[in-house]
Amino acid sequence: MSANQYIPFASKIEQVIRHTQTEYTFRMHFDGAREKVKPGQFFEISMPKYGEAPISVSGIGDDTIDFTIRRVGVVTNEVFERYEGDTLLIRGPYGNGFDFADYDGSELIVVAGGTGVSPVRGVIDHYAHHPEDVDGITAIVGFKSPDDILFRDDLKYWKDHIDFRMTVDSAKGKPGYREGFVTAVVPELTPKNFDNTKAIVVGPPPMMRFTIAGLIDLGVHEENIWLSQERKMCCGLGKCGHCKIGNTYVCLDGPVFPYLKSKTMVD
Amino acid sequence: MGYIASQEQFDALFSKLKETYEIWAPKKFIGGGRFSNTDAVRYAVVTSPDEIEFSEKSDYSWKEAVFPPSETLFYFTENHTEETEGPAKKKLVFLRSCDLAAVKRTDQIYMKNGDPDYYYARRRGDMAFVMIGCRTSCRNGFCVSMGTNQSDNYDMSVDAEDGAFRIDCKRPEWDALLKAAGAKTADVVPRHVNENNVKVQIPENLSYKVGMSSMWDQYDSRCINCGRCNFVCPTCTCFTMQDVYYDANGKVGERRRVQASCMVDGYTDVAGGGSYRQKNGQRMRFKTLHKVLDFKERFGYQMCVGCGRCDDICPEYISFSNIINHLEEGMKEVADDER
Amino acid sequence: MDINTKKLKKNAFRVTKNRYVTSSRVRVPGGYLKAEYLGKIQAIAEKYGNGHVNLTARQGFEIPGIPFEKIDEVNAALQDIIDGTGINQTGRERGEGYPASGTRNVSACVGNRVCPYACYDTTAFAQRIEKVIFPNDLHVKIVLTGCPNDCQKVRMGDIGIMGMTEPHLDPERCISCGACIKACRAKSVDALSKVRFRPERDTYKCIGCGVCVNACPNLAWTRSEKQYYRVTLLGRTGKKNPRMGVDFIKWADEDSIVQIIKNVYDYTAHYINPDSPDGKEHIGYIVDRTGTEEFLKWALKDVHLPDIAEVYTPLNWNGIEYAHNKYFGNQRYHADGTIVTDFSEK
Repeated sequence: MSANQYIPFASKIEQVIRHTQTEYTFRMHFDGAREKVKPGQFFEISMPKYGEAPISVSGIGDDTIDFTIRRVGVVTNEVFERYEGDTLLIRGPYGNGFDFADYDGSELIVVAGGTGVSPVRGVIDHYAHHPEDVDGITAIVGFKSPDDILFRDDLKYWKDHIDFRMTVDSAKGKPGYREGFVTAVVPELTPKNFDNTKAIVVGPPPMMRFTIAGLIDLGVHEENIWLSQERKMCCGLGKCGHCKIGNTYVCLDGPVFPYLKSKTMVD
Repeated sequence: MGYIASQEQFDALFSKLKETYEIWAPKKFIGGGRFSNTDAVRYAVVTSPDEIEFSEKSDYSWKEAVFPPSETLFYFTENHTEETEGPAKKKLVFLRSCDLAAVKRTDQIYMKNGDPDYYYARRRGDMAFVMIGCRTSCRNGFCVSMGTNQSDNYDMSVDAEDGAFRIDCKRPEWDALLKAAGAKTADVVPRHVNENNVKVQIPENLSYKVGMSSMWDQYDSRCINCGRCNFVCPTCTCFTMQDVYYDANGKVGERRRVQASCMVDGYTDVAGGGSYRQKNGQRMRFKTLHKVLDFKERFGYQMCVGCGRCDDICPEYISFSNIINHLEEGMKEVADDER
Repeated sequence: MDINTKKLKKNAFRVTKNRYVTSSRVRVPGGYLKAEYLGKIQAIAEKYGNGHVNLTARQGFEIPGIPFEKIDEVNAALQDIIDGTGINQTGRERGEGYPASGTRNVSACVGNRVCPYACYDTTAFAQRIEKVIFPNDLHVKIVLTGCPNDCQKVRMGDIGIMGMTEPHLDPERCISCGACIKACRAKSVDALSKVRFRPERDTYKCIGCGVCVNACPNLAWTRSEKQYYRVTLLGRTGKKNPRMGVDFIKWADEDSIVQIIKNVYDYTAHYINPDSPDGKEHIGYIVDRTGTEEFLKWALKDVHLPDIAEVYTPLNWNGIEYAHNKYFGNQRYHADGTIVTDFSEK
């Protein structure tokens, strides 16, 4: 008989990084994370008494994984009560994640909005540190306002090392920010060769829809676009049915999908 | 091998089987129906053959034997978990050929869609199946259309007729029990129907496009999203997790899973308040296409086994077979759609 | 013509406004009968009456337009109907018609032979009661309804019987869909709340209507094996002080109710004012005279209520008093705005 996948294991909180009032990154201990976990995968944070919540991996260290968590419900509220040195019960990793082989050597465009930055942070970071693996990378990230910006240290590194653009929906009067949506940035891009241009889009559904439309208008081929779908992944194991879309189980087959597949999926 | 067994001989076989197995069968609960002075037939552990309902189809399916409506996964204290104990005995399930076909479907999800499910596997392991034959078609079933009217995938078949039992046994150790009980050997083919009152035709060209059809709109108001159709369905496998705690300070409790329904509110809620498929018509479309389209795309055969229980139970008289038979029209309506 | 109207009335014929013409009153306990008797009623109406029939307020039939001379023939023709509706004919020969008319037809909603909400077979219980109380001259109205929706308006009768079920939850079948809680809130008394994902029933609030059982998609809620009843007392219509019956017992059982009914007849026979017009006096007025204590002493004699039963106390009625209404607005005005003067106050 197989192991009991439903029993969570304890993982120590090594560091808590505060981004905003309601969004923290919890850096968790996970042995051999770099070999076992891929960006775009997710875990179930599994808090006895409070329940479970699927959370994408927002960063991968040698023996650590990051969860960037927004305080929106019973489970996440409880997580915010925990400090460095405490433990969380978790299970995972689940899902396919991003496969670097899909993007190596390409001109890569990554567009992410809000907490959608979490699943792609590992991808951007990987190529920011290994620029030789791609033929250029552009990252466009959008946040609601300067108060909502996540991963400030990473953004700074990306700004210095790759083509990095950031928008805020509203600068709330603060100088130095580009106001508007990420979709406005897309038409400004000038890839050298559309046959070798690849794009990853992650964010709220309307943002993904408009961004993908913009990328296609720009000339990016549909088959070269990937995205990550968020659904109610309750078991993470292909059993509970909540995340099924058409013939696809987001927790098993996704959450990362080629756009060509994703566009055939009707909720 | 085939047998004709008398009541006494069948009783003797049953007693022997009871030593090894926990026996699950459709059982009539007198007064157990929804309305006053009505009965219900549903699955339960039976301890004598006369508790087995051989004539009426059960209102609820066999699946409760392997996937209970509510199942505790583990107990917890603050950071410690303790798995629930597994079943003490192997299970033997009496069921009809439609439900026997459904076993393959639930196995598909629980054992083969990703890794085998720990809790399903431990109930399912070594489960034996005794098929109850059908002499006449039930009112709403369409097993013939779905190809589930016959099966030879049983350990034993039983037709209870005129006080005797026609048995086809495939297990040598049970052959021995039957012979010891004095059952006469005979040529036995399990009873089955070759025609139903209801027939369905799933269009060859069925695609998700049919979701654009207006055929679903009527269910926005007709359907009351109660989920009865899912809970009685032998192939519905969805569940939701729940954490409950017993003591006042909330440090001791259990995590359980309960059957879930894609028709009931809350099924698609995501953190932060979003939900997909808010209209009942969309939920009906989602359920229908799972049963007769997307499961087949993924696994190669239809999910729906045509037992007709969803039609039997719908309080709003929505007929699932009627929906299936309107898919062709629905496809025609959206034929020119770009999608 | 010489005819004893007292005897006529007790034979279930009426003294009507049309001289020398009567009408025949047909009892139908529970208001449920084989359709073939409709044909026989039709035959009587067409042969002896004026070809019409009245559906009475208490679910009987009244066949009007019958000349007094035809009473014997009508009684003979009624025999099949009397047999078919299970009416006791004690004290009369076959063919002599009904032996009483004072005690009113036991009326009932359609009950669980048809209605999904009904908690019991109202027809069968009405027929059982009929066997116990008839024939009797006392003016008693017994009303049965299947559930607390009270379609039959039991609170307008002397003894009202309202069906109840005690719902049982099998927590292992509950899938937390919330249908019972919503249904109880929307259709009933909001007695269910969600505790640890499952419904918890407030037994004080619960009225046993069974809406939770009907709403449950998974048979987690089921009905109690025993059927229970709410008994209401001493509602009435009429000129003096019409009023609604009040709650007497919650979770009563059938046998107790039958005993209570017998007791109420005994009490009434004992205390009725012998000078009451036509020998008719609503029980409520007798209770006003003897006091509720005395009434309850009689009513609960030899009654063995189930443990679950709850008896209400004290019993307080209100109602309408046409001249001086204690309970509702007491000023009146004419359409032109002039106030109606109450001279008796001066």
